[in-house]
Amino acid sequence: MTVAEVEPAEGTTGRTWRRGVLLHGRGLLGLVLVTVVVAAGLLAPLIAPFGANEQIEGANLVGPGGAHLLGTDEVNRDIWSRVLFGIRVDLIVVFVAVPVGAVVGIAVGVATTMNGLADTLAQRLFDVVLAFPVLILGIGVTAVMGPGVVTVAVVIALAEVPVFGRLVRTSLLTIRALPYVESSRVMGAGTWWLMRRHMLPNSLEPLTVQLGVSMSVAVFIEGALSFLGLGVRPPDPSLGSLIRDGIRNVWQSPTFVVGPLVVVSMLVLGFLLISQALAAGRRA
Amino acid sequence: MARYLAGRLPSALFVLFAASVLVFAVLRLIPGDPAVTLAGPDASPEAVDAVRAELGLDQPILHQYVAWLGDLVRFDLGRSYVLGVDNASLVRDGLTNTIVLTLAALLVAVLMALALSIGGVLANRRWLEAVLSGFNTIAVALPTFVTGTLLIVLLAVVYRVLPAGGTPPEGFASRPDLAVQYLLMPALCLGLPAGAALTRFLTESLRTQLEAPYVTTAQALGISRRRIVLTQALPNALPSAVTVLGVQVGALLGGAVIVEAVFAWPGLGLLIESGISGRDYPLVQVLMMLSVLVFVVTQLLTDVANAWLDPRIRLGGAAA
Repeated sequence: MTVAEVEPAEGTTGRTWRRGVLLHGRGLLGLVLVTVVVAAGLLAPLIAPFGANEQIEGANLVGPGGAHLLGTDEVNRDIWSRVLFGIRVDLIVVFVAVPVGAVVGIAVGVATTMNGLADTLAQRLFDVVLAFPVLILGIGVTAVMGPGVVTVAVVIALAEVPVFGRLVRTSLLTIRALPYVESSRVMGAGTWWLMRRHMLPNSLEPLTVQLGVSMSVAVFIEGALSFLGLGVRPPDPSLGSLIRDGIRNVWQSPTFVVGPLVVVSMLVLGFLLISQALAAGRRA
Repeated sequence: MARYLAGRLPSALFVLFAASVLVFAVLRLIPGDPAVTLAGPDASPEAVDAVRAELGLDQPILHQYVAWLGDLVRFDLGRSYVLGVDNASLVRDGLTNTIVLTLAALLVAVLMALALSIGGVLANRRWLEAVLSGFNTIAVALPTFVTGTLLIVLLAVVYRVLPAGGTPPEGFASRPDLAVQYLLMPALCLGLPAGAALTRFLTESLRTQLEAPYVTTAQALGISRRRIVLTQALPNALPSAVTVLGVQVGALLGGAVIVEAVFAWPGLGLLIESGISGRDYPLVQVLMMLSVLVFVVTQLLTDVANAWLDPRIRLGGAAA
């Protein structure tokens, strides 16, 4: 799993956001890519010309153009409509599963970092989760829970817990050693007050960089699990399962796979660019 | 060195132990009777009982775990219920193919990183830097199933220059030219993200080296930039890149699952995919354990290599 670098916090999130994303060419490009895809997914019921699973008489593996922007698949469904509805699965994993995993990881990190024994225990647990390559973890969870959107979301949340737990720990330990925290402690501040007032707000800001990376990784995990047939259950579409279907029909219709490929690339690249711009904004 | 290793070993062993408990639990957590699941939907009661006895599912759970772990350690992996073949031979064949693919990808990654980082630093042009950095971001970001599919559409379907998937029918050794054709796309696809990560790291350490005082001295002596980079900066930048390479090997083995599925490459990844779709859970358990083992060992080797290269880590400070 990709892990962003953490530096001690300075400045407010709002300023980093402006400086990093809005004023940075890469950040703006990333924001545009993500916004377009997210809007397309949200508006799917309004803009999709056909239903996600609607079969159209006599349109078997039609090429792109005409009534079907991206053509049709092997059972006569409109690929463009399926792509639009497929985006919604990724919206769930990106905007629900990743934040849930992040919040749990941060909560565990905050609760355990200040206590020696609990800290060791939590770190060893994180070690164990991180020892499973994400897809292998996904395969294990899917074996137990069965395939489906919920399983994919659980896998992604589970994979993010140790990532954010580790990051918030590093961040807290760095901040704890800073002079202002020390002087506050000398003046009699309690651990929890310090945590709420000084350490937590300042340790969360660098995590925004990781959030972008994690969202990019979530799109990858959804795609990979669905590609392996462990994601959404047919006939419902997801970006990963559409690529799987596309590659299966690549000899009859080489253009089938192009649409889903472009959308996945836009999402993955968009989130990564935003995260890079945030990191650059923090350094500036 | 031995002391450092002795200090790292317990936590590695703990991770392996905890992971083995989790993997063992997978089969028991699946809803329903595992023996019925494994025997298949239309198995006779006798067949179900035979499976139950063979797996020791009628024994106490702790006994089951110890027996399972013992078999695993002795590489006694039993027979696949679905494929009817010895699991050990399946794993051996799969492992061979995965190692071939991973080594080829590693070669792609190393060649790419050396060429791009040295080329970029030697050329020292702003526009080239921007192009390389953009390419790097794309190479890191694009999932392997995207690049792999693109390669297939372009090189196998539209321009029919390479086979779309599979392994050479006559093996790797007898027809090396064919082997290269079959390996090229999967190795490129798997090696690209690792190569991009390595390129970024090597470029940065080369630039750091070029700011060192000895480089200024060399420049003052009139030695060309090309010679300084190749004979001075590169040898100093390489050792730390080796440890990054160690991390990447783990990532490559994890990424191989998808690349093998894209290119129908009969390695461990394809095996685990067929295992999960065929509900061949004992085989899936073996493969999960194997991947954790590989991860823990590469991690340990990387740490040891780090400690060997950097006395500061060896003598403390990295304990946290």
